[in-house]
Amino acid sequence: MDGVTLGGITGILLGVVLVNNLVFQGFLGICPFLGVSRKVDTAFGMGCAVTFVITMAGAITWAIMHLILHPLGESLFGDKLALNFLQYVAFIMVIASMVQLVEMYLKRFFPPLYSSLGVFLPLITTNCAILGACLYIYMKPETQPFINALVYAFGGGVGFMLAIVIMAGIREHLRFSNVPKPLQGAGITLLVAGILALAFTGFTGIGK
Amino acid sequence: MAKELTNFEQFKSGILDNNPVLVQLLGMCPTLAITNSLENALVMGAAATFVVVMSNLITSLLRNLIKPHVRILIFTLTIATFVTIADLTLKAHMYEVSKQLGAFIPLIIVNCIIICRAEVVAIKSGVGKSLADAFGIGIGFTLALSILGVIRELLGSGSLTLPGGAKLLTLPAAFEPHAWIIMILPPGAFLTLGVVVGVVNWLRERGKAGA
Repeated sequence: MDGVTLGGITGILLGVVLVNNLVFQGFLGICPFLGVSRKVDTAFGMGCAVTFVITMAGAITWAIMHLILHPLGESLFGDKLALNFLQYVAFIMVIASMVQLVEMYLKRFFPPLYSSLGVFLPLITTNCAILGACLYIYMKPETQPFINALVYAFGGGVGFMLAIVIMAGIREHLRFSNVPKPLQGAGITLLVAGILALAFTGFTGIGK
Repeated sequence: MAKELTNFEQFKSGILDNNPVLVQLLGMCPTLAITNSLENALVMGAAATFVVVMSNLITSLLRNLIKPHVRILIFTLTIATFVTIADLTLKAHMYEVSKQLGAFIPLIIVNCIIICRAEVVAIKSGVGKSLADAFGIGIGFTLALSILGVIRELLGSGSLTLPGGAKLLTLPAAFEPHAWIIMILPPGAFLTLGVVVGVVNWLRERGKAGA
């Protein structure tokens, strides 16, 4: 298949981790980004869980589109895109069941991490970074080959992890600073995120 | 909530006291992503209002049939269905705007505000109260988006655009060289929302102290 080159894959990976970081440039996954970024180790755990779910979901939704919905639309209606209206419902089902799996696995093997993630673990289902990445994979021409789609999804997860760990590192120090009362909590976090986003804007122009 | 709210109070609380974005800090992603112009903010607000109203209506009608352990799945599927309808409608009638909003229309599915309303209100209240709540939350969401949209578009591009492309207001050309481009770029979204949330907190503190 054309489009699968090492250079292309590296470009996609760098692009989604740094240049078009899902959190800072794409505004995806802001809720956990604000909610679970108080401590570095919890943030790292959250980042790992999201990376895992996003990679699996990216692979499975790719398969759903290319191996089920397109051929089925082709054979039933003679139009490859005829069943595309099922896309959202199918994607969200896949993601919800993936999260259920991760939840069961963590509960069984890593109980401390499971309890520290708390309600944010089931909420990965509604983490827009995951559905967003799956939708972008389908929209972008360069992520149509399977390998590229997989790399994009994985990179999206790594980018999210990078963002949330940096944020947690800053917030651990922020606890000792004297923040004006109305800005405490969400306000200051958003302002810090703004400055971080400004830094990430500096990557614009690297790659395509 | 200690006492039972009337439908009107439920409606009003969604707009002001419990504004989903500015007070509850839910649904941050679309709030940050699509408020670079007033037009996008209004269209997004309308789409989300439609979805929250329909999802609250259906959830409230089905509330005695839904088993607790599958409720989240039912909510998500209901929401996904109405989002598909909204998405196809926008693509058919407002193609330009729908292209600008891009993935954020399908992402209404995972907007925490809507699931939150289904879980907190619709699953245990009658149709009237659920609808009042949905309209309140929808309007509150649109209001918050519009506030951010007005600030960012005015400072970033020096104009205000209504849905359909009409200009509500254009700043004099002398403003042009001083436009804060950063306001319509991603960092501006975070900074504006941070400041607006700060101001809202300050007003609420002051309101409490005065009461």
